[in-house]
Amino acid sequence: MRLRIVTTAVLLFCLGGVAFAHRLDEYLQATIISVDKDHVQASMRMIPGVSVASFVIASIDTDGDGVISPAEQRAYAERVLGDLSLTADGKSVKPRLVSADFPQIELMREGLGEIHIEFTADLPHGGPNRRLILESHNPNRKAVYLVNCLVPRDPDIRIVAQNRNEQQSFYELDYVQSGGPSDSIFGKWWANVRGSISALGFAGIFRLGMRHIAEGTDHLLFLLVMLLPAPLIVSGSRWAGFADVRCSVLRILKIVTAFTVGHSITLALAAFGIVRVPSRPIEVLIAVSILVSAVHALRPIFPGKEAGIAAFFGLIHGLAFAATLGELGLGRWERVAGILAFNLGIETMQMVVVAVTMPSLVLLSRTRAYSFLRIGGAIFAAFASAGWIVERLTGVHSSVDVVVGAVAHQAVWIAGVLFLISLGCWRVQNLRSASVPM
Amino acid sequence: MNVFSGRMLRGIAAVAAIWLSMTAATDQTATSRIVRAANAFLSTLSEKQRQSVLYSFDDEQQRARWSNFPTTFVTRGGISLKEMNATQRAAAMALVSSALSAKGFEKVQQIMEGDEVLRRTDRGGGPPGPPPRDNGHRPPGDNDHRPPPGFGGNRPPMGGGQTFGKELYYISILGTPSEKTPWMLQFGGHHLALNITIAGERGVLTPTLTGAQPALYTMNGKTVRPLGAESDKGFALLQALDDKQRKQAILSYELADLVLGPGQDGKTIVPEGLKASEMTDHQRAMLLDVISEWAGIIHESAAAARMAELKADINETWFAWSGPTTVIPGKNITAYYRIQGPHLVIEYAPQTLGGDPGLHVHTMYRDPTNDYGKGLLKE
Repeated sequence: MRLRIVTTAVLLFCLGGVAFAHRLDEYLQATIISVDKDHVQASMRMIPGVSVASFVIASIDTDGDGVISPAEQRAYAERVLGDLSLTADGKSVKPRLVSADFPQIELMREGLGEIHIEFTADLPHGGPNRRLILESHNPNRKAVYLVNCLVPRDPDIRIVAQNRNEQQSFYELDYVQSGGPSDSIFGKWWANVRGSISALGFAGIFRLGMRHIAEGTDHLLFLLVMLLPAPLIVSGSRWAGFADVRCSVLRILKIVTAFTVGHSITLALAAFGIVRVPSRPIEVLIAVSILVSAVHALRPIFPGKEAGIAAFFGLIHGLAFAATLGELGLGRWERVAGILAFNLGIETMQMVVVAVTMPSLVLLSRTRAYSFLRIGGAIFAAFASAGWIVERLTGVHSSVDVVVGAVAHQAVWIAGVLFLISLGCWRVQNLRSASVPM
Repeated sequence: MNVFSGRMLRGIAAVAAIWLSMTAATDQTATSRIVRAANAFLSTLSEKQRQSVLYSFDDEQQRARWSNFPTTFVTRGGISLKEMNATQRAAAMALVSSALSAKGFEKVQQIMEGDEVLRRTDRGGGPPGPPPRDNGHRPPGDNDHRPPPGFGGNRPPMGGGQTFGKELYYISILGTPSEKTPWMLQFGGHHLALNITIAGERGVLTPTLTGAQPALYTMNGKTVRPLGAESDKGFALLQALDDKQRKQAILSYELADLVLGPGQDGKTIVPEGLKASEMTDHQRAMLLDVISEWAGIIHESAAAARMAELKADINETWFAWSGPTTVIPGKNITAYYRIQGPHLVIEYAPQTLGGDPGLHVHTMYRDPTNDYGKGLLKE
């Protein structure tokens, strides 16, 4: 050894009997929790100090035979869990024992024994902002606590805050959980496709945008109902005859473009976090936009201002698109590509829908039968939107989704039949007008 | 005459060249020095001792067989200095020294000397005589503070009836000392666990535990604080923070112990406190200086590489403090602090075991992504 000790050590404070390497008169309870989407896991280390050891041992080895039997281990571990209270978003959840490991009694007596207890608890479904509270009520008055949380393995979970009381017997964890099941129809839809988009590229997001329009029936319904009166002219306060083909096509394109510009703006703003709006009011406003456009299809309430209105409601629809894009958890650069891909996907699907329905609308609008389609479509949309508004405000489920979904499911057939009917009606009207001399 | 001196000069030059190339080859790298010291140490051992010292490189149990506890409570692998003769002991310490910086080795020696002080003052394994147990600081009848019979010197012998002392430090080697393939050197005992993974020129010190009890003692008339710089530099950083920064750095709760002590390998907890991106350049430099007390234990070239890595991470590194924000000059802080970054966890945890928490300290140094060099070996 290089260092020589010559003098005797002089200790500055009383060391003698206190100089132990181990826990003395506290009962240490150290917990590390880890949060997953649907459950929480925890690993507890419990180390009784020398002065509390005999008390702790007596409460574990209840028959006093000097051996901790498996039944005694289980009973003590269950008692430890019983002394915890765990809540998720204010609801009490029950910890379930996973494993319990006990040291030799001899080690425990010397303040060296570590009891290991692992438990898990299922978490109820909740919103994106979650709060977990762990309270320990160790009956030993000399208990000291350590509570910590592992960095979540799931990238969709982000820890926001940890709050504790001074002793750490009260521990509160706030975190944000994205991509989880939510109450909206998109939430349900999202939960279904979620698994398949983990390795998402440009093409994947593009398709996601297309599907968002194709399956997000409320966006589509809004657009279609906006287009219903587009080929018509206003006479007084009612919809009257057919404008003309050129004018109709231009109006349809104007409305679609305005809607696109509107939702592109808010999609970009929201995706970059410049605008942040909770999803529930947005969903309600989207339903309101359908109701407004349905009323307009019945009686012109903003004739000639369709493009402006479509752009305005486009702003609202864009916020909902952003929520979907936001759930992908993209990085900054990826987000630019993501917005582009997603928007192109939305546009492409819109174009397909418009391309399929426009000929029918233009043809049929030149006949008297068109008022049936316009009024029927508007009433259907009005009922659907009213149902959605109630559902999204109250959280009570109605059968709107089922009905609209069933209709949307047959969209291709409906579009085909509509086209045939339009063609038929137009032909009949043409023949009639040709045969009747004016 | 001219010819002779020319030949002589050539000869001298040749000898010098051979000598230079030899010394250059042998003293080229830290790893080659450590490997030579390891082989020298192993050559002093008997066959039985060698078998006790050597483990296979993938022996996960031996890897994790370290603790802050005395060796009598948590048995270490390898053989202790107590079981060695003077030559073997010198070779063992030369090996440990070769893997550490001068400052790091001094720290290790001071921790070991501290345990020697503890041996003399504690009943554990001390020479026969009146045990200095009763110090008069306890109220009479407060018997539950006293250790139960069987503790310390009266304990059944595991380390020869001795609990503390500078000889109760164990050395073990996992794998074969090599300049190319990875291997590991472990050295530790009470309040010390060095886990040094050597892979080529890379050296990894994580996880390493240092501790001290007493964390302040006098030797040769000089006050020694084995972990004094850790205490002083951490406190200086706290002092350098402004009110707003302190508010973030100081945790509102007590920390009774290490969170990521022995057995908690590879865990990454959510960082807390003040992020270094919110610090000034000067404060960040101070933070790196605190970190260097642990990162600088290993030999200089490995320490330099490690410090470069931690410097690159510095804006993602957090500093958290819990406990008293004052200190008696010349003594250790009685507060806990933690430094955590993407590749770093440092904990400084005074132990409140009845006495002055400033006299009993545990510290932990980890890289959750590279405990036992596992991240490095994956590359």
